[in-house]
Amino acid sequence: MPDGRMDKIFEYIPENLLITLVAIVAAVGAMLGVISYLILLERKLSAWMQDRRGPNRVGPMGIFQPFADGAKFLLKEDVIPANADKVLFLAAPGIGLLTTMLAFAVVPYGPVGVEGVPWFLRFIIAPGVDIGIVFIFAVTSLAVYGVILGGWASNNKYSALGSLRASAQVISYEIPLGMSVLGIALLGSTLDIEKILTQQATGGFWNWYFWTQPLACLIFFTSAMAEANRLPFDLSECEQELVGGFHTEYSAMKFALFFLGEYTHVITTSFLTVILFFGGWHFPWIATPESTYTGAWIVMLLVLLTKVFMVIVLIMLLRWTIPRFRFDQLMNLSWKALIPLSLANMLAVMTVLQFGWDRWLLGPISIGLFVIAGVISVGFKRAEIRHRPSAVELSHHLVT
Amino acid sequence: MSDSAVQGMLYGSLAAGAVGMWLATSPRTGALRVLGSFLASAGLIAAVAMFSGPGGDVTNKILFWMFAASALLSGVLMVTSREPVYAALWFALATLGTCGLFMMQAAPFLAAATIIVYAGAIIVTFLFVIMLAQQQGRSFYDYRARTPIMSIVASWLMLAALLWNFQVWQKSAPAPETGPALTAEAAANPFSQPSELNKVDSLRALGLSLFGDYLYAVEIAGTLLLVAGIGAIAIAPRRAEGTI
Repeated sequence: MPDGRMDKIFEYIPENLLITLVAIVAAVGAMLGVISYLILLERKLSAWMQDRRGPNRVGPMGIFQPFADGAKFLLKEDVIPANADKVLFLAAPGIGLLTTMLAFAVVPYGPVGVEGVPWFLRFIIAPGVDIGIVFIFAVTSLAVYGVILGGWASNNKYSALGSLRASAQVISYEIPLGMSVLGIALLGSTLDIEKILTQQATGGFWNWYFWTQPLACLIFFTSAMAEANRLPFDLSECEQELVGGFHTEYSAMKFALFFLGEYTHVITTSFLTVILFFGGWHFPWIATPESTYTGAWIVMLLVLLTKVFMVIVLIMLLRWTIPRFRFDQLMNLSWKALIPLSLANMLAVMTVLQFGWDRWLLGPISIGLFVIAGVISVGFKRAEIRHRPSAVELSHHLVT
Repeated sequence: MSDSAVQGMLYGSLAAGAVGMWLATSPRTGALRVLGSFLASAGLIAAVAMFSGPGGDVTNKILFWMFAASALLSGVLMVTSREPVYAALWFALATLGTCGLFMMQAAPFLAAATIIVYAGAIIVTFLFVIMLAQQQGRSFYDYRARTPIMSIVASWLMLAALLWNFQVWQKSAPAPETGPALTAEAAANPFSQPSELNKVDSLRALGLSLFGDYLYAVEIAGTLLLVAGIGAIAIAPRRAEGTI
């Protein structure tokens, strides 16, 4: 290659493109590597909670298990059912993974807007998106296509039932998910995730939105778990009733793609929970806006990733703590509990902002709303039990 | 080229598109259907090419043609597809293509909202219905379009009227310098009181415009949706009343 040719090529590559490529490669590469070990962690945690040993054959303590799993996914026979719609059957896992990965584009995965970060690191793939949160909801609302199409194309009754459940569930839980974040959007008067992160990080420990919006945090976390089809909300793939739900007919790498999509969703959810409610990279004394020593950004990055890791572990622990819901309970939880509660929460935020009251009132208001909801639901259940016909009355009714 | 010649070419290509759609939807042989699809796409693309293309640099142009072509092509395929599930999916793709165009016009909120409402919620409900109705095989009424001629004539007339209106509008109101500006006709609308600041380029400006300039329109639309929602709940079957 003659001299100067390379320079010319570099002239055509704007700096921004390079930074974006670095951000994408870092995010996607780290995500794929981390997911394989998160699966191992989940299996180990499950084993620990069930008093088993878990995978321990590949390498010391089973730490090379992810490589064995990967090789198995690649080398296993790839079965496509004879009566399946081949195009959609192949497209469905790809759609599922693509949409969940796309949602990660506007999520900051490190300290953004902090001094001292090397110029080629940006920690967010698409910076400055004005509608950040709405973009995530828009893209993740497309994720249900993968599930629906996978279930339909398999031409299997269990798959179809699983995908029907999934679509009803995802549509229902999208509403509380979106409405719980509206309170934060009102308080911070922005939907830009980077700005929300910076507001909390520079505001100090007591400005974490968790203190003013605890109820919204609970609603967001619950709905996000339901969106990601995680236990206790994995009714679209519950083994006892539907074999494997929408992925009954999927094997080898296509199954792995569905799995990757689900884990990517879990990671995005954990990042969002930390960024929206728990202060992002901020932690008192360790990582504050005042810490300007060299390499402070590495500490901030580690703080953020530690918080995210803790949320992921919480999600995994919940898996073996709360039993799976029944489908009507799942729908009732969304429509009769989460949506009214998130509406009331939003109303409280609007009232406080409109009349210029102290926003610390929102914490007690949230707790009060939660208590009221609990009292109402327990009261209703009691009344229902009191008026429930006894077995004797019922048998009498049946005989006559 | 004279004015009338441009007009003739525009409506001629539209008519070619209409004939193509008819060929593609009516129950004919496979070769004619393919030919019709091509004719329809070519006619529509030719009609679009009459208008001045997108400005900006090469990336902008490439993206515009990509989004526009994908939206048009998936629109045609949606109408002509024989499988209901595929038709719903093509509709989703057409929506996504349109949203890409919204994004390019610096209207990201509109794009995201359209994706949530159309691609996210409505099409999923479509698929829901389709899956319940179409577990096995296709029925006869999926193979053929119902009254294709009437619908094609109606849509052709609507498209022609829209394009004619655009031309008149373009002549009367020169392109605004910055951002979309309201024309005099829009300003005379009793439901809209445009402020001095007509530039809608950020979410904040959009919110101020929606809940300031167009408050009445937004409230009326909201009330209408509320009434429709209550009506839907009222006519839904209930187990307690024995209507399920």
